[in-house]
Amino acid sequence: MVSVIWSVVPPDIVAGLFLGAFFALIAVGYSMVYGILRLINFAHGDFYMVAAFVSYAILGAITVGTRVNWGNVVWVGLVTMLAGGVLAVAVERLVYRPMRRAAVLSLMIAALGVSQILENGVLNIPQWGSNYLPFPVTPPASGFDVASVHYTWTQLAIVIAAFVLIVGVHYLVNHTMVGTAMRAVAQDRPAATLMGINTDRIVSLVFFLGGALAGAAAVMASLYYGQINYLMGFSIGLQAFTAAVLGGIGNVAGAAVGGLLLGILESVGTGIFGAQWALLFAFGALVLTLWLRPTGLLGERVGQRV
Amino acid sequence: MTTKSALRRSAVLGAAALAACGSLAAFAGSASAARKASSGTYLVGVSEPMTGAEAEAGTEIYDGELLAAAKINAAGGVLGHQIVLKEEDDACDPQTSVNAANKLVSLGVQAMVGGYCSSAAQPAEPIYARAGIPNIQAAANSTTLVQGGYHNVFLIDPGGSLQAVEAAGLFTKVLKTKKLLIADDQSTYAVNVAQLTAKDLKGSSTQVLPIQAVPATNQDFSAVINTVRAEGATAIYWTGYFAQAAEFVRQLRTAGLTIPFVTADGSVDPTFIKDAGADANGVYSTIAVLTSFLTGPAAKAFDSAYVARFHSQPGPYSAYGYDGVFALRDAAVAAHSLVPAKVIAALHHLKFDGLTGVVSFAPNGSRIGAHFVVLEVVGGKYVLAPHQP
Repeated sequence: MVSVIWSVVPPDIVAGLFLGAFFALIAVGYSMVYGILRLINFAHGDFYMVAAFVSYAILGAITVGTRVNWGNVVWVGLVTMLAGGVLAVAVERLVYRPMRRAAVLSLMIAALGVSQILENGVLNIPQWGSNYLPFPVTPPASGFDVASVHYTWTQLAIVIAAFVLIVGVHYLVNHTMVGTAMRAVAQDRPAATLMGINTDRIVSLVFFLGGALAGAAAVMASLYYGQINYLMGFSIGLQAFTAAVLGGIGNVAGAAVGGLLLGILESVGTGIFGAQWALLFAFGALVLTLWLRPTGLLGERVGQRV
Repeated sequence: MTTKSALRRSAVLGAAALAACGSLAAFAGSASAARKASSGTYLVGVSEPMTGAEAEAGTEIYDGELLAAAKINAAGGVLGHQIVLKEEDDACDPQTSVNAANKLVSLGVQAMVGGYCSSAAQPAEPIYARAGIPNIQAAANSTTLVQGGYHNVFLIDPGGSLQAVEAAGLFTKVLKTKKLLIADDQSTYAVNVAQLTAKDLKGSSTQVLPIQAVPATNQDFSAVINTVRAEGATAIYWTGYFAQAAEFVRQLRTAGLTIPFVTADGSVDPTFIKDAGADANGVYSTIAVLTSFLTGPAAKAFDSAYVARFHSQPGPYSAYGYDGVFALRDAAVAAHSLVPAKVIAALHHLKFDGLTGVVSFAPNGSRIGAHFVVLEVVGGKYVLAPHQP
């Protein structure tokens, strides 16, 4: 038993990093929106889903044969990030902004409504529907072996790309003028307005960044898992939200750490106890974290979050 | 709540009606038999989807039943009575099915053979039970159909549980698997097949690892695959549905593992092949034998008779409709009576060689003895695997 655990755990940690990279990218969007509006945007997982369908449509239209054209994947990835960002901004502009003065609970219910609208909207598009659609591009299996476990170059590229994107956003928030403005709006919106910050534009920007990261996650996950479905955003959205809480909701680094940790916990939980225990293990850890450190691992006082 | 109590009440009523029929059969039964006998026909109801998305399957099953009835009638009918099939469209829809059942019962059918959609068959069950007539389901196979406590329901299509035996045979005899990893998607059906297979393999040459229950929303199998590698499993049996099956086998092959991947019938779907792409090739599946995979002279004769009469190949479940009508005939002959209660009693003790294997029923009415087969994906298509257990 012990030897089996020993041979399972290290590869499970690596597998957890891949899963965690997706969680982290989506969690950042949850976290930043919460930081600035105190809104848990339940539609965020569906931004991810819609973005996956956008990339599916474009790649399906331009892909000939089964060979992967990485140039295409990269530019479609960028377009999808743009689409995810634009969708998030549109939802904020059309739904959340008119409700800016409403109670947070009303906003969250509106977010659930947006989630349903997006899911059922995709469901009703004839070419998409409720089927599991095979992603048009299948990455090759070539890669490298570590301790007799095979990893593909695509997996490595996904983790690196996720890392670069998150570090980029972290830098933007903490080391630039715009980031300072974001943090100012998160701390005290009226005061930030009085200081001459265009708060509406900052909120839009936060939504855009969150949507774009969800779009990036969508392309990567579709590439990695190979199929998409109109409900794919629900489960991963919930787990990303959990990751955000685990890491300390409201800041970028917390979301990243929480995402990776949740991915690793689920993976290791499966390895040691079996697949039926994975979520129990992961969410048990969440409850423990909230007991021992209610602000999450990297949590700050609410006033300082973005 | 209302529905539930109504259902329970009808179950009680049905059971009471059956009990009454059983004990008073000598008197009440013979009177009704005498009335029906005078007509010289055996009126049998058929409820199938004849319109809508499932119309093709329904028509194919009905055609199989027509062939059986014609063959029986040509040989003198049932106890001298010619079978007359009375068809009603259930449109694979619960409400339409209830209307169809009421209509068939009011027309005085003495038995019912049909059924393709379990969801349509279920709400009609109490109606046939109240009427006290045999309710033989040709292709509807949900286990919930035999959980209502009705004494008159018989499923020709065995559904899930029997395929555990087939799977066990495949792993011990054909694949000679040393260590097997079974995984399900936590659905009732898949868990059932997984556990039964593990049970059947206990003490055999195939060692079974603890069952992995993967949540149906899970797309990531890397941790399960790590377990496969660490435990040294030499084959995988996936009992869940096709979407996850495609994910699982793709990730397994990407991870460089080439061990046999076997699925239960829930994953037999063209979408699986589409989603798994090239990795679908070589995947095995256990499934109740479909009409097109039947072999032997009886199956050949059925096939050519079907083509001669309907100018098309039989559908996957045509043979199940055919066996359903023969089950009714053999039960009536065994009971020496067309009286529904007596036919029901005889169905419980029935055993004959049908097209789809031995036809007999467990006490709850589910099928025993059906043939199962192993399919293999070759060149993106399901074919019969070259080595059957």
